[in-house]
Amino acid sequence: MTQPRLGLPDLGIGVGLRVPHYRAILEQRPAVDFFEIISENFMVEGGKPIHHLERVMENYRLIQHGVSLGIGSPNAPDPDYLRRLKQLVRKVNPPWLSDHFCWCGVPGAFLHDLLPLPYTWEVVELVAERARHIQDYLEVPFALENTSSYMAYTDSEMTEWQFISEIAERANIGLMFDVNNVYVSAYNHGFDPYEFIRSVPHERIVQIHLAGHTRLGQYILDTHKGHVIDEVWDLYRHTIGLAGPVSTLIEWDDEIPEWSVLALEAEKARAARQAALASRGQAQPAEPPRLHPDAAPFRDTGSGPQSHGGPRELAGRENSVLGVPVIAAP
Amino acid sequence: MSRLVELQEWVVESLRSNRGLDRDAARVAEAKQRLTGNDRLRPIDQLEIYREQFWLRHTASLVEDFPGVGGILGQAHWEKLVEGYLDAHCPNSWTLRDLGRRFPAHLKSRTELPDHALCSDMARLEWHFIELFDAADCPPLDLARLGQLPPGTLETGQVILNPALALIEVDYPVAELRQQLLARRAAGPSAADVPIPERKPEQLVLYRAKDRRLYHHPVGPEAFALLDALRRGSALVAACEHAIEVAPEHAERLQRNVGAWFQDWAKRGWIVDVRPAPATAD
Repeated sequence: MTQPRLGLPDLGIGVGLRVPHYRAILEQRPAVDFFEIISENFMVEGGKPIHHLERVMENYRLIQHGVSLGIGSPNAPDPDYLRRLKQLVRKVNPPWLSDHFCWCGVPGAFLHDLLPLPYTWEVVELVAERARHIQDYLEVPFALENTSSYMAYTDSEMTEWQFISEIAERANIGLMFDVNNVYVSAYNHGFDPYEFIRSVPHERIVQIHLAGHTRLGQYILDTHKGHVIDEVWDLYRHTIGLAGPVSTLIEWDDEIPEWSVLALEAEKARAARQAALASRGQAQPAEPPRLHPDAAPFRDTGSGPQSHGGPRELAGRENSVLGVPVIAAP
Repeated sequence: MSRLVELQEWVVESLRSNRGLDRDAARVAEAKQRLTGNDRLRPIDQLEIYREQFWLRHTASLVEDFPGVGGILGQAHWEKLVEGYLDAHCPNSWTLRDLGRRFPAHLKSRTELPDHALCSDMARLEWHFIELFDAADCPPLDLARLGQLPPGTLETGQVILNPALALIEVDYPVAELRQQLLARRAAGPSAADVPIPERKPEQLVLYRAKDRRLYHHPVGPEAFALLDALRRGSALVAACEHAIEVAPEHAERLQRNVGAWFQDWAKRGWIVDVRPAPATAD
């Protein structure tokens, strides 16, 4: 019988590590159970990205999440990409690593998007085979995330939840379960999000993502902007009720608020998780070990800017033109 | 070609289109065959969401990478340039960091653009900054070790430059202009326009310093030629000879200053090592 979370640890509540918060994190050392990094942002030779990564690693546990694997693309993942990813895995030593059930392009074209796959048996076989290979190659437990999608293919032979469950079982990998993505896709494609959540193998859920999104009238865009909405919190509690204590992460990638706002969102996730576990009748999990027992608690210093639309989850870069001014040398 | 690959090729071709997909009747019909649509969106509308995102994402990335070029050209010319670039050079790397790799060459070919030579210099400069930003880290020159090298090593050995250093010759003072453009952008829409500078050829050292910030530093032609030769692997004496050949009018200045330059360059982190010349086979 498969162990809960595939036997992987429950890390508690984390947040996505993003550049605007570096100063607050490095100077205030807020109490966060773990951070998740976008792998591609740190698959570079040196400079500020590596410097900041190393500083954060001194005090926090890190998880890696990728956006460029393109596991369902026509070609197998780029060997150079995998080599660099493995180098980063060796440096960061995450307890697991994840990417997406998606494809990103065709030979000669990389679109930097998480494009939905047709849910066919052919694709189940292809992705499962590649996922097995990647997990073996990287030598770290591997998980794939359900994506938000805006189109569906006539070729599909099964539901999304059947598709991801089949692959996870066949490849013996974990599920990075994005509850907001379930909500977004349920709205966009008209399915029942609770059926999705009920139908996946809960013991394979190794991590949960929560985020905000943007309603654009006829569809919802997964912008990772703004607060997690009440309906998604309900889905989250339902997921925890079925899967038990699973590491949970808040993603906020557009119009990123000041640290205190994100920290409060993480605390909200902690409370929701505890409530869901309590009504499940499960003893509260022990507080995950923190690597910085003297870290300061979250501080509420007011709300951040308002959100109104933007890109989806993608590798952002640290060399923002305003963040890194180029200076005339003395 | 499998049905899956055929579908993926079709999606990519659709997303790369630089005009609204519902103007293309054949594509609308094909989308009906391939995509389900729903009670709110037609199949072509679903595809259009991804097409719009493709253009938004990549143009935003180029805006971030080449703010100087954008600042010179203004919105209309910039949009046309970027559209042409993405049309001619589909993104093909797993990292958005590499999106602008072919941008300077593309811009160079677009001679009809206003201030073309200035923009071309700016694009080269900005691409260098992208490369220097995350180039490999390198420990500074170990002065204690330098003192222990056998006599003559400095003259005949290989002087190693920092991997986070680039040399660039420009016809316009683009590094300063870029700072002004960024300052104007940060100041908001009410800030005064930045004047287009006159032609003023410069030789610049671009580098990432110990504080991990990026700097530009103008140098004279003889120092530039010396650094260029060192970067290509010449020993110091041979590099000096090359520099004198390139800039004979500054030979005396080079001979007078080379010692001080070496110290200054080591202090700035441009020189990171000196290695004995490799033994040659008899």
